[in-house]
Amino acid sequence: MQDNMIAERSKAGQAAQTLKVKPKWHMTVLHIVYYLILVLFLVFYMLPFWGALVSSFKSNAEAISTSPIALPQNFSMEGYSGAMDLLAVSLLNSLVVTIFGAAGSVFLGSICAYALGKWRFKLNNVFFIALIAATYLPFQAILIPLLKNITNYGLYDNIWGIVLAHSIFGMPMCTTMMRGYYSEVPDALIRQAMIDGNGMWQIYRKIVVPNTKLATITTFVFQCTSIWNEMLFALVLANQGEGAQAPLATIVLNSFVGSTGVEINQLMAGSMILALPMLIIYIFMGKYLISGQMSGAVTAS
Amino acid sequence: MASITIKDMCVSYNKGKTYVLDKLNLDIKDGEFCVFLGPSGCGKSTAMYSIAGLLEPFSGQIYFGDKLMTETEGGKKKTFVPPQERNIAMVFQEYALYPNMTVRENMGFSLKTKKVPKDEIDRLVNEQAAKLELTDLLDRRIAQLSGGQRQRVALGRALVRSPQVFLLDEPLGNLDAKLRDQVRYELKKIQKELNVTTIYVTHDQTEAMTMADHIVLLSGGHIMQEGTPNDLYDHPANEFVAGFLGTPQINIFPCSVKEENGAYILDAGTFRLKAPDHVKASLAPYTGKKVDLGIRPSDFEIAQEGVNSIPAKLDSIEPLGDAYLLYVRIGEKVVVFKYAGEKAPTETEMLLKPNMEKLHLFDPETQKRINA
Ligand SMILES: Nc1ncnc2c1ncn2[C@@H]1O[C@H](COP(=O)(O)OP(=O)(O)O)[C@@H](O)[C@H]1O
Ligand SMILES: [Mg+2]
Repeated sequence: MQDNMIAERSKAGQAAQTLKVKPKWHMTVLHIVYYLILVLFLVFYMLPFWGALVSSFKSNAEAISTSPIALPQNFSMEGYSGAMDLLAVSLLNSLVVTIFGAAGSVFLGSICAYALGKWRFKLNNVFFIALIAATYLPFQAILIPLLKNITNYGLYDNIWGIVLAHSIFGMPMCTTMMRGYYSEVPDALIRQAMIDGNGMWQIYRKIVVPNTKLATITTFVFQCTSIWNEMLFALVLANQGEGAQAPLATIVLNSFVGSTGVEINQLMAGSMILALPMLIIYIFMGKYLISGQMSGAVTAS
Repeated sequence: MASITIKDMCVSYNKGKTYVLDKLNLDIKDGEFCVFLGPSGCGKSTAMYSIAGLLEPFSGQIYFGDKLMTETEGGKKKTFVPPQERNIAMVFQEYALYPNMTVRENMGFSLKTKKVPKDEIDRLVNEQAAKLELTDLLDRRIAQLSGGQRQRVALGRALVRSPQVFLLDEPLGNLDAKLRDQVRYELKKIQKELNVTTIYVTHDQTEAMTMADHIVLLSGGHIMQEGTPNDLYDHPANEFVAGFLGTPQINIFPCSVKEENGAYILDAGTFRLKAPDHVKASLAPYTGKKVDLGIRPSDFEIAQEGVNSIPAKLDSIEPLGDAYLLYVRIGEKVVVFKYAGEKAPTETEMLLKPNMEKLHLFDPETQKRINA
């Protein structure tokens, strides 16, 4: 009797698994409508990118006279060579500012996140709330005092001044992000490391950092993107135009639209060049998005 | 090597509003194997963390030898040696293995921190790995180990050091029965060899009975009783201790005490027993009152007939291999009786004769032991 019932049930289960649900006709129509809407949005979203891409391979004359989304009739690299001439120095500057600014803010953020997330000390909550508040502080609000400070340090119109500003203003965001990751490091590991004779910063170096590489990479990439695309600090903390000591690529690209009229192909090629590094970083990072790096630390399974 | 002394220690997780451990006083001798035993949530781990210095008690003192490790008063710390300076080895309930290291690196980590030379670390790790059958696993990562293997690594990691105090928090919890017996034996042997003061936390009374020199039985943040395993088993201080130690559990019969012709009678309603002479003095104040009579399952035997025996009906039999557990009915009450005979008894009606030398008598109100 009991066995029979089990057999019955498992047969039913198999049937349910292999059953092909035949949709009713109006469901099929609905599906088609859904997909149409999705495709429509995709087209709207991708069209500007597509336009920029095709225009960047046209001559300026063709770019001006033809539809912006038509394929180039004469494939031309003149936009790219022109853009590279104008952007070369500023791209290098941007790269330095991005890498060092992101590294600086991730480093500071990581230390803060560890201290705030894993240890109790006097007023730790006050510190944390202050940091959260700082995360939402708009840049514009502190621009003038920041400019004065940077000038006082003699770092106006200097890429290291911009690096410094990004390191410090990126720190609250990095702290918030990394605190989340660090909270997943089991307290038991930290207790064990203490028992094994390590102090607070030895534990940070030997246990916490090596076990949260993914967190560091993710936060770093996040910071890179926002610094690379940022314009306000770049604009305010350095001279622009002729004789600028620390021009950044985002600013220089915008100056393409300027006195001499617009060279659309150059502008579009410049945009492509600027988009490329972040695209590469994201593709590269996909490899590291493997979760479960803490597995096995504190449980049997 | 050190003795451990705890004086008036109170531990609170809410700044003194409630105490998880209340006025704990304890002396653990140098080289002793001390087991903290008690049901889950009674504060065993908390006591151990306080000793390790991972937790600041609300008040009280902890000494290793005559060196003051922790002193707090009213939540304020006066003296506190941080855990990394206490020279203790510890195995946590969660194994807390470092996922970024191999088994070998995990086991050698504390030595490396102490800047022990590399060959010495290798030697100690290899030696300990061999004892725990971990040699083949030394170069694996933690994620590639089974639960039992992880537990052995955690043990090995603690054993490679020569700590002054060795703390183990339910270290065998995730091992299967066979391995558990084996590791238990190894552990006890190593502890005797190293002669290092050890505190071992468990809720398993068999582990406590087999390993301990000194059992501290905790419940609800208080020490119920401490002493050697035999002290606790033969002279439980209260009904909780009597019930916690020994499988199957002790049988408790509520009885009224009557005095008849100069003898004391324990009357359980379904049977009457004449109390032996050595409990007379303890029973005297309870004349006309109730007591709880405790008889361990192994303290019965089958009698042919006679005084001081209990009529019982056989309910069911569980063979243990070398003995039988008989579930018998005395009136409506089901009682367990461990029968050591060759063959299980066949008759359903029997007379049980308790060993009157091993009676346990408790006050039903205070639950405290009455007889000496
Ligand atoms: N971090 C904590 N915060 C608050 N209460 C806790 C904490 N850790 C343990 N407790 C409480 O303290 C009591 C004792 O816990 P614990 O020492 O872990 O017990 P055991 O190890 O004997 O199972 C339990 O009631 C538990 O809920
Ligand atoms: Mg515990």
